Amino acid sequence: MNAIEARNVSKCYRKQGVAPPTLFGSILNSLRGARTEPFWALHDVDFTIPKGRTVGVIGPNGSGKSSLLGLVAGTITPTQGSITTDGRISSLLELGAGFHPDLTGRENVFLNAAILGIAREDVRRRFDHIVDFAGLKDFIDMPVKHYSSGMYVRLGFAVAVEMNPDILLIDEVLAVGDIAFQLRCLDRIREFQRKGKTLLFVSHALQTVEEFCDEAFLIHHGRLVERGNPSDVILKYIKAYMGEGGYLYTQEYGTRDVEITDVKLLDAAGHEAATFTTGQPLVAEIFYRAGKKIDNPVFGFSIKTGNGFYVFGSNTQIANYRIPSIEGEGSVRLRIDPLTLMQGNFFLSLSVHSWDHAVQFHRREDWYPFAVKNPTQAIGIFQLSAAWDHHAAH
Amino acid sequence: MSFLRTLSGRRELLANLVSRELKSRYKGSLLGFLWSILTPLLMAIIYVFFLRLLAGRGVPTEEIIIGVFAWQFTALSVSGGLTSITGNSNLVKKVFFPRIILPTANTLANLVNFLLSLLVQFVIVAVLLHVRGASMSGWLLLLPVVVLYHTIFNLAIALLLSSSNVYFRDTQHLVGVLLSAWFFVSPVMYNLSFVERFAGKAPWVMDLYLLNPMAVIITAYRAITLPGAVFPWTVSSIIGLAIPLVLFAVACAVFERAQRFFADML
Repeated sequence: MNAIEARNVSKCYRKQGVAPPTLFGSILNSLRGARTEPFWALHDVDFTIPKGRTVGVIGPNGSGKSSLLGLVAGTITPTQGSITTDGRISSLLELGAGFHPDLTGRENVFLNAAILGIAREDVRRRFDHIVDFAGLKDFIDMPVKHYSSGMYVRLGFAVAVEMNPDILLIDEVLAVGDIAFQLRCLDRIREFQRKGKTLLFVSHALQTVEEFCDEAFLIHHGRLVERGNPSDVILKYIKAYMGEGGYLYTQEYGTRDVEITDVKLLDAAGHEAATFTTGQPLVAEIFYRAGKKIDNPVFGFSIKTGNGFYVFGSNTQIANYRIPSIEGEGSVRLRIDPLTLMQGNFFLSLSVHSWDHAVQFHRREDWYPFAVKNPTQAIGIFQLSAAWDHHAAH
Repeated sequence: MSFLRTLSGRRELLANLVSRELKSRYKGSLLGFLWSILTPLLMAIIYVFFLRLLAGRGVPTEEIIIGVFAWQFTALSVSGGLTSITGNSNLVKKVFFPRIILPTANTLANLVNFLLSLLVQFVIVAVLLHVRGASMSGWLLLLPVVVLYHTIFNLAIALLLSSSNVYFRDTQHLVGVLLSAWFFVSPVMYNLSFVERFAGKAPWVMDLYLLNPMAVIITAYRAITLPGAVFPWTVSSIIGLAIPLVLFAVACAVFERAQRFFADML
């Protein structure tokens, strides 16, 4: 039984100026004979999702992920092809969409539930539960315009999951709220999975996709370019980025007297991977080509979090590992063991420079993204080796 | 018919949106709901005062009151209906539900307002008539029919304007101008005998005039309320009566087609 079936779906937008459409403007355009340029947000996308499956949609910004979710939700009509769904859909596309700022939290819960199609009686019965889940007991009779953005989203999420849908669409909304709320959201999602519901979610948090999904879709330039086992698809995605050199903030510079030609990130088993596990090793195999003989080269690396926080940086000089000279091709192996990063998306930067730091031969900044998943319940970005000791007083 | 099925399928949403509309309209205002009565009342007082000042004794006060209250219902439905889709763009873009509910909820909220204001209107009209030793017409029993009719007309316009405004944002500017022109060609501040006098020996003017559904609707309110007023049953007034029904069918079809690309245009 399929929950979602998409048959050769395409979605075309007309490229227009920034201004909203006007009658005057379109008359002018038709007089001028100007044709608006079509933009294909999705092109010939074809897939089926069986009931009970969790599918993660990944891809660069602007690749068509949100359009895909909009089409499944029914807010967007496909230009070509068709999408059929079986079962009640709840979308967490925008939490709190439809909240009216002047109404109280309580009034908005009922309004929002009605928009999502939940019977008033059901809402009344589960009202306390919703408020509890959102953690807004003391604020429920306050107009939502006085809510913080976190409170807003929490209430929206609480209503949406309380609807008990058959298909749940999630668009990058789990990145909101504090950690405690995020964990509760993830718990809710696991509960949905246990109940055999279908989930389709868009996320840039690759480790979440790897952890939760049975399958991943990679969308690029409006096409479904890859689907399958999440870790394989994530690896493809990350490698495609490396090939394009195209991450938003990547930089590359240097004299290229020594060039980094290829880099392989390997997991504990020595397989090429894109997601790593906290506490296990991460090995970067760095291949270089030196155009001429270089004495005392220094290889360096640094790691940043997805939002640019500098986690760690070092090089062969600091590590007292001297490479007398290089010429021609070769490789350097960087071994991080154990990996003490916790879960999230990270960027590895690599560089080769001269011993006195005067010449940068080649530096690739934020060039190699990877994801880390943390198998434990601990939270944070860095794993500290912590131990407990207990002593009773007597 | 599919319109009614849609609405009854999502009547809870409809009820919620109507109450959201009403609650948010008067949130933070001191007199709250009273404004829905005060606004047309104050307008009626202003019209009566200046008409007396400029034109001397002419149209009876109660006719003006009935005209203004009815006009207010249409004017609010037009302006509210106009932005009922564009003003809820985040909702339309993010959640799927039958979009026709948005303009309908707006019109129904205005209907609730109108019905409450009618209570006050009839008290005032009864007092004015009583002073002159007259009383209200027994035809008043037909009020629900006229109100229903008026609502269908307002809804048709709300549907057309709300979808048109998504595709062409200048609709809202155009409507502002047209609405004031429409006010003057509708018998709000005057009545049909004024039009008759104005038309003189050219009866086609009157025929043309009655093609305006607002002319027929306001005249119908007066005819069922006031003892002296009569409804002119002519070919053109019957056509005027038929227009809202045809318009409503057209509006439903247009809206149905237009709504498929709302999310793209917002």
